[in-house]
Amino acid sequence: MLAKDNSTAIGNLSALVDFSNLINSSLDLEFALNNILLTCFGKFHTTKGLIALTDNSGYVSASASKGISKEVIDSFPKLNEDNLKNESVELNEFMSKNNLEIKRIIETSSGILGIIILGKRFTKQPYSDEDLDFLKTITNIGSTAIENSLAVDKLRKVNRDLDAKVNQLSSLFDLSKEFSGILSKERITKLLTYSIIGQLLVTKYAIIYCDDHNYDILESKFDEEKLTSLFQKNNCATISEPLFGDNLNNNYSGLTETGVEIVVPMLIKGKTKGLILVGRRRNLQPFTKSDIEFVSSVGGLAIISIENASLFEETLEKQRLEKDLEIARNIQRNLLPDKIPNLNYAEIAAYNQSARQVGGDYYDVIKLDDKRTVVAIADVSGKGVQAALLMANLQAFLRAISKQNIDISEASNLINDLVSENTMGGSFITFFWGILDEDKKSFKYVNAGHNPPLHISQGKMAKLKTGGMIFGVMETLIPYKSETVSLSSGDSIILFTDGITEAMDVTKTEYSDERLEELVLTKCKNSAQEIINSVVDDVKLHTKGANQSDDITSLVIKIK
Amino acid sequence: MADFNVNTREVGSVRVIELKGYLDAHTAPELENTFNSLINDANFKVVVNFNSLKYISSAGLGVFMAYVETMRENSGDIKFTNMNKDVYNIFDLLGFPMLYEFFEDEDLAIQKFNNSL
Repeated sequence: MLAKDNSTAIGNLSALVDFSNLINSSLDLEFALNNILLTCFGKFHTTKGLIALTDNSGYVSASASKGISKEVIDSFPKLNEDNLKNESVELNEFMSKNNLEIKRIIETSSGILGIIILGKRFTKQPYSDEDLDFLKTITNIGSTAIENSLAVDKLRKVNRDLDAKVNQLSSLFDLSKEFSGILSKERITKLLTYSIIGQLLVTKYAIIYCDDHNYDILESKFDEEKLTSLFQKNNCATISEPLFGDNLNNNYSGLTETGVEIVVPMLIKGKTKGLILVGRRRNLQPFTKSDIEFVSSVGGLAIISIENASLFEETLEKQRLEKDLEIARNIQRNLLPDKIPNLNYAEIAAYNQSARQVGGDYYDVIKLDDKRTVVAIADVSGKGVQAALLMANLQAFLRAISKQNIDISEASNLINDLVSENTMGGSFITFFWGILDEDKKSFKYVNAGHNPPLHISQGKMAKLKTGGMIFGVMETLIPYKSETVSLSSGDSIILFTDGITEAMDVTKTEYSDERLEELVLTKCKNSAQEIINSVVDDVKLHTKGANQSDDITSLVIKIK
Repeated sequence: MADFNVNTREVGSVRVIELKGYLDAHTAPELENTFNSLINDANFKVVVNFNSLKYISSAGLGVFMAYVETMRENSGDIKFTNMNKDVYNIFDLLGFPMLYEFFEDEDLAIQKFNNSL
């Protein structure tokens, strides 16, 4: 009897040593649980068993089983640690119903890990005290192995989470480098979408840019019409936090109906400048907080680059405009006469000052022969190169026609027809020209909608208004009329553009026709150059401190 | 400059894309072009050989997501082969193995395409 006890004890002992070696040789949980069950099966000759471990939620669930059907496993009662410690009615019912006979809590010094439950012995003999002791020993050895494997599992998960985080960060880093080098909105959007669909494993997405009033769907794999109708009703700029789940469904059910699962705003300084919509994950896994953070971060990077790209474009556009203006200014400068011809019978002085934004003032003095001289002033509508080119056309027409010896009103008809043919988009020219004739002591002029020049003769002022419509609006239907005024020695004619009379001071008050008329009346005894200087000085005095908004041009003729 | 290279080979009805170097946001457009030209020529059976790929970023992964549906809609697929452990790890982290087939070797992936004929 004693000998038998001894051999059993030795058999038990060597089995335990084997078991201990084996189970501690691996840190794999499944391996450990399997071996605990198999060792029990071998020792007790049972065919059924399961090990249930407590999970994160504090409840026990079956982690390994043998000889038990899936249905039975599924019917395992919901138990927590306290239920295990105290006799649980549900557990006892579960056991008796499924022919399970003994159970033992698996615990370590740090707490309860779970429970092992074994079926009836194959031999139908009940478990002896000795058997129960053996089971106790096995669970004690096994518990350490289980705890270790659980810890390793946990570490693996932590490691994996860390890996995922590192991966996200390196993606973000990669993108931030890339985004900063791109200045195309389309390219940035493309990269943004690739990163999101690659990182989140989705194929449905949309990128929308918006501000308080507008939105622009840049990319969409959702029904674009539905999105459009949704965002017409709802202002996207009001979404300033990521929306998902119930929060999204309750506020924007239309979006969830189209398949959108997350909406992440792209913010600059707390203001929503765009939205990223993401649909269902292809592997059907739910989105995590970390996923939403990722979308938020890439969105933030992208929107800053997009903002930079549009600023860059604006700057380019500005530079182009500046260049355009400079070309126009050069053209304009070259169109004005370098030198005013010296005449025996009259003194002519001219002044032109271009505004920073080039306008289209033009004047010309063309000597036809020893006795006759053409004097012209014009204001071409529009600004920049277009105005300058129209002015160049006008100059060419004017110079060509002046040599033709055609009557000035007939010539005006022709110039208007030419200008009308050559302008587009509502450009026009206000124009005044006249011919000084020494023999006839006269000035024959046509005024095509220009500010009437002032003719001062013996202290009396007349406005030279006769003519017709401004040039360039339509071909000549009503011929231009001309008028001839006689000139006597000492007469002045003051030609000017609206840049003078409409010059504004800091309070936006215009210089006005009245002030000009008053001034020239008092200065009419002076020379042409002195009159023009007085006008310019007075205009400058008026506009002191304000920006010059238009070209200022004036021409003064003084009859000797 | 970024060291990246895409090379396409014909193996029967299958096209093998070989990737080399670093596939990131900067180089992703090259791969995009390759896929576009494959689709233009109606080649939908694609095996991507990662043997010489050292690094892939999420923008690179995104390219595969962007084209896989087109391939499958045209009874083709994108299959991945010869990945080193680091690169596979990234695919694995983001859950790609649930959606794509991965093979140890290019030939196995090509065989899979041919068997499904």
